[in-house]
Amino acid sequence: MTLSGKAAIAGIGATEFSKESGRSELRLAVEACIGAIRDAGMAPSDVDGLVTFTQDTNSEIAVARELGIPGLSFFSRVDYGGGAACGTVAHAAMAVASGQAETVVCYRAFNERSGHRFGQAAIGPDRSATSTGLEFSWHLPYGFATPAAWVAMHARRYMHEYGATSEDFGRVAVAMRRHAATNPRAWFYERPITLEEHQASRWVVEPLHLYDCCQESDGGVAIVVTGADRARDLPHPPVSVKAAAQGSGPNQMMMFGYYETDLTTLPAMGIVGDSLWRRSGLGPRDVQTAILYDHFTPFVLVQLEELGFCGRGEARELIADGGIELGGRLPVNPNGGQLGEAYIHGMNGIAEGVRQVRGTSVNQVDDVENVIVTAGTGVPTSGLILGRDQGRSRTRGS
Amino acid sequence: MHDRLMTLAEELAAEGERPAPPCPDPVNAAMIRNWTQALGDRSPLWDEVAPPAMIQVWSMPGLAEKAATAADRVLARLDEGGFTGVVATNCEQTYDRYVRHGERLRQTVRFGGVTGPKTTALGEGYFVTWYQSWYSGDERVAEMLFRVLKFAPRGGGASRRHPLRPAIGPDTRFFWDGVDAGELRVQRCAECGELRHPPGPMCPRCHATKRDHVVASGRGTVHSYVVHHHPPVPGLEPPFVVALVELDEGVRMVGNVLGCPPEDVHVGMRVELVFQKMDDELTLPQWRPAGGGEARDTAADTNAAADTDADTNAAAGTDTAAVAQPGGDGAESPPGGLPALRVELTPTFVISTALATRDFTPVHHDTALARAQGSKEIFLNILTTMGLVQRYVLERVPGAALGGIAVRLGVPAYAGDTLTVTGRAVDDRTIEVRGAVSLGDHVVATVRLKESS
Repeated sequence: MTLSGKAAIAGIGATEFSKESGRSELRLAVEACIGAIRDAGMAPSDVDGLVTFTQDTNSEIAVARELGIPGLSFFSRVDYGGGAACGTVAHAAMAVASGQAETVVCYRAFNERSGHRFGQAAIGPDRSATSTGLEFSWHLPYGFATPAAWVAMHARRYMHEYGATSEDFGRVAVAMRRHAATNPRAWFYERPITLEEHQASRWVVEPLHLYDCCQESDGGVAIVVTGADRARDLPHPPVSVKAAAQGSGPNQMMMFGYYETDLTTLPAMGIVGDSLWRRSGLGPRDVQTAILYDHFTPFVLVQLEELGFCGRGEARELIADGGIELGGRLPVNPNGGQLGEAYIHGMNGIAEGVRQVRGTSVNQVDDVENVIVTAGTGVPTSGLILGRDQGRSRTRGS
Repeated sequence: MHDRLMTLAEELAAEGERPAPPCPDPVNAAMIRNWTQALGDRSPLWDEVAPPAMIQVWSMPGLAEKAATAADRVLARLDEGGFTGVVATNCEQTYDRYVRHGERLRQTVRFGGVTGPKTTALGEGYFVTWYQSWYSGDERVAEMLFRVLKFAPRGGGASRRHPLRPAIGPDTRFFWDGVDAGELRVQRCAECGELRHPPGPMCPRCHATKRDHVVASGRGTVHSYVVHHHPPVPGLEPPFVVALVELDEGVRMVGNVLGCPPEDVHVGMRVELVFQKMDDELTLPQWRPAGGGEARDTAADTNAAADTDADTNAAAGTDTAAVAQPGGDGAESPPGGLPALRVELTPTFVISTALATRDFTPVHHDTALARAQGSKEIFLNILTTMGLVQRYVLERVPGAALGGIAVRLGVPAYAGDTLTVTGRAVDDRTIEVRGAVSLGDHVVATVRLKESS
């Protein structure tokens, strides 16, 4: 038994992406949700399930109250920061496929720039002796306290092992900013950068420059998941959930995968990738574009390797000469990603994956049959393969 | 207060260079011998001329009276304004020429300026600069810039408490107990013997819950590292290094690398354990370059070792020159790196050098008084720090003639600690020197060499 093809994404919604929304996080959540529900041609009364991130501050019941959803039969949360993104759709698809719910909205909304900024030193988290508090206690006292620093530790070793350079990382940033430059919703709309500008940007945590780090953003995104059959009766062509997976690796920690595993790998993403290909019956050659979680550039390279788009240490060759840019071998994040569009904890990437399959993106890749979408790296994570609905592709196929 | 302070500063600056009390004694062999013995300087150069870094010693008033500076009125005004804390930040000596035995020197003082208020790690404060010059007859032989930060101490002692503290639970307490006992402990499964860090309640291999630990040798290799610049992290001054150290026992551990500049850290670098006392309650296991830093030049090491042997019976408190660990641990020497010098800061060393530089300030010899003033121990005086920088460079670059030493002062070098001096040639006239103690950098110096004669 497999989940593949049983659920589909019928609607997407989002607020504007800004540095200061001027509104409450709950308001951002419900604005995104109502947008997604309307995009699906539905009403809140059609929704009977809600899923969000463990980290989200907006409770499912608060969102249901504001939307006037009369009752919920399924609600769930997914943990581990941005690693939750695709996991919310996985939970929703499982609920729909198993009959626990008919239509589930996944949402994530925050004032991550004007409110609590994830890029600042994480001195606030649980400092009691819980399992998570103890994990952080091996790192925080040394001032090892920001996501950039935690990723930089991997990046340095990756450079050492494979001869990658800061310019290789920079090419990811240049690609994302090129894509964002033609996406009016992107924060960095019409503001591309050059590799020289990347190299000249200040150090945040060596070996990461400022332009290796994604933005901090305010905003919200919501995704409507429903049964495949039902989706076919709705306004947009259904976007089939061909595979959904979560993954956690050996000796997994939150961002501290340093102790037993190879620092140049992301074992959790390897598990997600293997599951996605196996469950969908597809492989790296079957996707026309990839939405890869890009909070920091180095992990885009490692993801390309973990997902089988190239061998270990070879990602810099795949990225060279515009390989991940529009028109390249594998266009990555046509929306500009979190480096260029906005950092909505990976959820804006899922929405772009949906647009690419629908054929409605402002930076549309030609003939998209399938797209792979990933979630936060360095943490337990998740992924999706979204694709054209089988019924539709048959009629189109000729 | 600010406007009055600035007016006073302008008045003082307008006074220009003024004569100061005379130097008590001519340049003489006895004071030079005291100085060289106390600092462990065995150079044969000082039979006719005085060590250049001794220049300030010649005008020290000794116990007779307090040394006056050109900035006393400004410092007093700042005290009245609540800027009661003081810490020296810079000392820059320029040597026009070495002075000869028998020369009688005179000194002048000149007010430099005041800048501020500035927000610093210690609190809001003003930087105050003044100058001293030394003459033989009408010929200037040396000049010194001295700068202090006068700051308003932040309320209470709370700000000195390291803000980033580990949570400690039943499964991790043995580790922190070990740190307090001066041991680096690694959890071992009492059934299958598997070592593990970070520790946990159940052995993932055999599922035993019975645990003990081994005490690590304290040696390891940098597996990866980062240099933190941004954003600010409470309790730490960027840039700082965080490294993932692979212990010789096989487990990995995160810590800071202290005692060398960030640019010297590299993957594969050998490091050794050092305990850093963060405050009265918290100590962290940390790392520093192994074997006295980057001493990898075999010939230079041999010389350093020979010097050490010759010094075996010298006065207590002199250093042992660092010798590279035998066998070469695969560490590479940074370009231009000079062998390290390690100085054990025994109380005898701290006190004898203070007295040999005619510095009788109690914080350099009276432990009880030093503690009463908020220091944890007596500590090295600045005249000695300057002398050690001179000694390091002249021992590492034989035949060099010093044109000047400019130092930035960092954390105190307390008795009981070890000062590790490292250096590198920036070009053929410039040596960068760094002296680190367990708390971090005590001194960062740029030494200018003259064309050798």
